Amino acid sequence: MSTPILPPGLAIQKADERIMTLNVGPQHPGSGHMRIIVQIDGDYIVACDPDPGYVHRGEEKMAEYRNYVLNVPHLERPVIHDSCNVLYPYVLGVEELLGLEVTERAKYIRVIAAELNRCVYTMYWLAIYGIFLGHSTMFMWPAGDRELLIDLLEKMTGARVTHSYFIPGGIRNDLPANFEDVCLRQVNYFEKRIKEYADVFYENPILISRTEKTGVLTRENAIRLGTTGSVLRASGVDYDVRKKEPYDVYDELDFETNVMKSGDSYARSRIPWLDMMESCRIIRDALQKMPKSGSVRVKLKPNPKGGFDSVYKRVESGRGALGCYIVSDKKPEPYRVKLSVPSFRNLIALPHLLIGEKLGNMPSTYWSLNYWPVEADR
Amino acid sequence: MGTATGIIKALNSGIKHLALKRFTLRYPEEKLKFVGDGYQFDPTTGVGIAGLKGRHMLFHDHCTGCQLCSIACEGVAEAIGMVKVPNEWKQNKKSIMPQIDYGKCVFCGLCVDACPFYALYMTNDYELSSFSKEGLIYTPAQLQVKPFVAQDSEIQISARGATHG
Ligand code: SF4
Ligand code: SF4
Repeated sequence: MSTPILPPGLAIQKADERIMTLNVGPQHPGSGHMRIIVQIDGDYIVACDPDPGYVHRGEEKMAEYRNYVLNVPHLERPVIHDSCNVLYPYVLGVEELLGLEVTERAKYIRVIAAELNRCVYTMYWLAIYGIFLGHSTMFMWPAGDRELLIDLLEKMTGARVTHSYFIPGGIRNDLPANFEDVCLRQVNYFEKRIKEYADVFYENPILISRTEKTGVLTRENAIRLGTTGSVLRASGVDYDVRKKEPYDVYDELDFETNVMKSGDSYARSRIPWLDMMESCRIIRDALQKMPKSGSVRVKLKPNPKGGFDSVYKRVESGRGALGCYIVSDKKPEPYRVKLSVPSFRNLIALPHLLIGEKLGNMPSTYWSLNYWPVEADR
Repeated sequence: MGTATGIIKALNSGIKHLALKRFTLRYPEEKLKFVGDGYQFDPTTGVGIAGLKGRHMLFHDHCTGCQLCSIACEGVAEAIGMVKVPNEWKQNKKSIMPQIDYGKCVFCGLCVDACPFYALYMTNDYELSSFSKEGLIYTPAQLQVKPFVAQDSEIQISARGATHG
């Protein structure tokens, strides 16, 4: 009788005196269901095999059965904390397929919503990063201050997390009255608050000694493995889709990208924090440059159809470059929607980072990759 | 910077928070105030009106039973079913109106965008929990009721931090 071939990690392995196999997850290695199979020799990791796929939802297949507008609510589900940015490439792609011209005001409002959402996502990520390192203050503060921006998004879109706000042709509704003032006030206070994280977290010698020089990803490896977003920028590659291929009105706004050279867990955790300050800058700039009135949504025909065509659009999400490839075949539904997600691309780097590390550094290294299990599995 | 100064700075930053006000919404006693009366949609301009996407509200004197809301929701959550209503309305020949199952609804508001007759809006009511699944199904008669909401808490920012005042 031949032995059945089992998936990695389930197969019974011959016991070794030194090497022990540990299954971290799939219940709770971080946020979302995901398993990391690590082999340890004493306290040191000798092999690591990330095993995603527990939260596959079939988003891409579902998109083939719904028309271009009704795809909006479910395509933002992969990352509900970053729902505007997850939807952004799809909306941009559909606009090109259907030949819609979006008004200037809608573009600015979309940028503001996307930046607010990026901060909301990063704060959530930071809260979990704090608790991974046993720093519960860093869990409480971001989780609380995130409320300032959630409140703004709620005023804007009518929902706290899953906004369904962007729609092919613009946005669903105009800003409420007096929004600019409230937004400016809360974003300014938010920026003041995140600057206070420096003393307690980012310049705290205990955190620095915990995360510096752990999980180092060199510049060459970062490029070779195809990582993106904050992981790539922490390894010294200045790459941001908002700068390199500006979409909507990012080319008219004034902001910088943050780059660090060291490529360790500390740099990967610091870059999103610095990016949040840039986001505050973008929001203030966009509020100023935004046309004060005007239409925000192009009227669509019921069941709009594209030609025989395909588009690929990319945006910079909270985790990195997020692409969406849409094929249309003259039907109201897309023929194919493919999401190219940053989480999956960053996860590929994990086995390279963990070899030779102590087991205690695994959670911080894993979470510093800015990985979101549901997004990777789609 | 030495390790000791760093740690003292971190502690100091935490101690400063003792003087800050608490930034917590004590939920059942205090409720957050929203803009407007809920998400609405104007079919003539094709643009929505900002507001919370909460429980729906159905205006029986406008609903024509055209089922467009139900068709929109079929692609989202299949939460809307069309049911017979006992009353006769002259604009509604078939006497059918939407019934919404909040166990399925995801509060996207696309049904509101689909209604061409100003009949379906959303309200500020979000407290819909129920002990049974049937309790989450709102009939046209229940959807007609305007919810009572007492929401007045807003984020205030002062020198002593942000609060829900
Ligand atoms: S809000 Fe969305 S999910 Fe809820 S009933 Fe309307 S279309 Fe369906
Ligand atoms: S609520 Fe509006 S869309 Fe739905 S059946 Fe009535 S008129 Fe038609």
